[in-house]
Amino acid sequence: MNEQLVSMITQLVMEKMGQDTAATPIEASQPSVLKLVETAEAPNTTVGANEPLIKLYNGVAQSVSQGVASSIAQTTTEPAKEFQFEAGDVSDSVQAARKHTPARIGVGRAGTRPKTKTWLNFRLDHAAAVDAVYGEVSDELLQKLNVFQVATKVTDKEEYITRPDLGRRLSDEGKALIQEKCKKNPTVQIIISNGLSASAIEENVQDVYLALQQSLSNLNIDIGTTFYIDKGRVALMDEIGELLQPEVIVYLIGERPGLVSAESMSAYLCYQPRIGTVEADRMVISNIHKGGIPPLEAGAYLGTVVQKILHYKASGVGLVAKES
Amino acid sequence: MKTETIYSAGIDIGTSTTKMVVSRFVLKNVAGITHVPKIEIIEKSVLHQSPIIKTPFISKEVLDMEKIEQFIFQQYELAQIAPTAIATGAIIITGESATKENAREVIHAISDTAGQFLVATAGPDLEGIIAAKGSGTMQQSKNTAKVIANIDIGGGTANMAVMQFGEVIGTCTLHIGGRLIEFHQGKILSISPPIVKLMEKWPNPLVVGDAADDVRVAQCIDEMVLTLVDVLNGQLTDEQHPLLLGHLPNWHKPVDVVVFSGGVAACIYDNECSMRQYDDIGEKLAKRLVAHEQLQSFIWIKPEETSRATVTGAGTQTTDISGATIQVDADVLPLKNVPVFNCYMDVANRSFDDIIQLAVAQADALFSTEDHLSPFALYFNELPYLSFQDVHTLCEAILHHLADRSSSELPIIIVIQSDYAKIIGQTIQAINHTVPIICIDQIKVETGDYIDIGEVLPSGVVPVVVKTLAFHSK
Repeated sequence: MNEQLVSMITQLVMEKMGQDTAATPIEASQPSVLKLVETAEAPNTTVGANEPLIKLYNGVAQSVSQGVASSIAQTTTEPAKEFQFEAGDVSDSVQAARKHTPARIGVGRAGTRPKTKTWLNFRLDHAAAVDAVYGEVSDELLQKLNVFQVATKVTDKEEYITRPDLGRRLSDEGKALIQEKCKKNPTVQIIISNGLSASAIEENVQDVYLALQQSLSNLNIDIGTTFYIDKGRVALMDEIGELLQPEVIVYLIGERPGLVSAESMSAYLCYQPRIGTVEADRMVISNIHKGGIPPLEAGAYLGTVVQKILHYKASGVGLVAKES
Repeated sequence: MKTETIYSAGIDIGTSTTKMVVSRFVLKNVAGITHVPKIEIIEKSVLHQSPIIKTPFISKEVLDMEKIEQFIFQQYELAQIAPTAIATGAIIITGESATKENAREVIHAISDTAGQFLVATAGPDLEGIIAAKGSGTMQQSKNTAKVIANIDIGGGTANMAVMQFGEVIGTCTLHIGGRLIEFHQGKILSISPPIVKLMEKWPNPLVVGDAADDVRVAQCIDEMVLTLVDVLNGQLTDEQHPLLLGHLPNWHKPVDVVVFSGGVAACIYDNECSMRQYDDIGEKLAKRLVAHEQLQSFIWIKPEETSRATVTGAGTQTTDISGATIQVDADVLPLKNVPVFNCYMDVANRSFDDIIQLAVAQADALFSTEDHLSPFALYFNELPYLSFQDVHTLCEAILHHLADRSSSELPIIIVIQSDYAKIIGQTIQAINHTVPIICIDQIKVETGDYIDIGEVLPSGVVPVVVKTLAFHSK
């Protein structure tokens, strides 16, 4: 970087600081400062770039220039202002429509692409979804719930994703542990697994579990020994059904995360699941999270569903058939 | 998917006319199979519309209750529905009829005999809203961003409800109606008090006995229409305006569209004036409304119902269905006329126990006398996100302050806006399994409202009618 350029920048920066950052005529020269720093190879960039650029680099510009022009005497720089997008300015109609959907509607565009804000939000949600899949349920939570942990035949996350069949079988140690610790032939066996979203379990399982326990105890329905399964699949309940012979299994499992929520949990229920149980006999209450079915209400409701399953001795399609 | 059917009745006792509808609702679980059920009314059909009769009076100030009852039972027969089959609905006593001496008595007597679960509603704001629903304007408003004013002009009052996106954003009631000046054999038979007041500042006001075609009659009508225009334009600011009934207009957006319903509207859209057997200013008022230049600057939309807007609204639009996951003690239902106390959840500053204690004390002060405790519903509208522990603390607080006094006559009644009824009801039951509890959710009410809670329907939900019993005083 040539010396002339550096001194020019220095001068401009000093001028700017001297005059404060208020909207003074100097503002017009601001973009050129930024441009010069950014694209030192082409100093002739058009002066007076559009305004948002000024806002974006407001604080950063000062520190960058300091770095470049290290010969400047120590100056007190204002702390970089927290960056904020311009407030969304959408019509009443769009605002009203937004109340009815979590979809990203009325977000505007920049040319043919989404605006930066929309794009960043999308990236954030996507990252949260990925994190949910690759995250783990904390030991603290399991201790709080007072549940022990077993593993499936899956060894790591990659295998869990690529080999669903292995997620449907318990490891040999897991089997032994369940047989050692669990009450046999309970009316209701509750099991918990991270499934595809550890954050779903972290956020919701405690409330659902406590509410479900209370609901079942109000209804005088007896509960087996609850445990946690690392990297389980839904149909794993069949093997557990064989091992413990419960009447009903309630399986709380993290749902495949989406871009609206990465914290959504499902409760799968089945009457006497055994190896060979068909999917039509399972039923599910899905979308349990803060923005969906409130976890507490879901737990309280699950108790009445269990009661119905026990009454009709059927679940899934079989229950619907018997009910009508 | 299973559906269930319930019957509803609507009765409108207005200033000049009385009418009734019987309708059928079809209820169905609209939630997906993997969701917690959500029961909604999916179909409403009117089974029977009564003829429009003149509201019977014994004297000028007393409604003829017997004749009204006769009329109602006659209509049940024509509709081939037994009064006992009626599960919900509303009687609404509107306009100047609501100011009659025995208005309250009439409405309560009828609601006890004319159906198992018929309720009384009144109050000018609610009338306007019910009319807007019954005329179909509310439904229209859901499909547009335009601000729509539904103006229901009957015999005695014009009840306005202003809506946008299907939500009411304001109401206003004016003394504008067909029967405010009545004629007989070409002469003025009566002038209602608000019109007398309006003419107070005139040098030469109209008096009973003046000719019906006197120019000052047209002048009165002009004043009415001008006042209406002022209200629509947001220019009425005089709280003492003689034609204003109750509060000033309370919406803050300019009105784009006007819809007229009510008896006078029948003359506006259909030229059905020959149907009106009344010798009054109704027809002239309608003609003036149509011709008025300033009113032409609004978009005009024709309603689905004119004369029958209010009764249709009362019969088909007043019933809500509670959330599907609720906790109710079936033995104490139905409950009628339960006042609502909005319990503000200021959890940042106070404990649940303090909040409930204060709410119970305030509610008692409002609704109970020293030697007689009245039931009331505690309403939680802004519950924060609650954990299991929070719910327990809240329920313990509720029981602490309400359990001792509760009985089957005084059940604990809790209404919640968000979806928490099952867990709260269930937790209360877990702590104290003998206390009678009604805990319902997904209902919007306010302090001052009254609610009726019907008997549990087979799908486990209860019909709820939210109403305000505020009778306007003279």
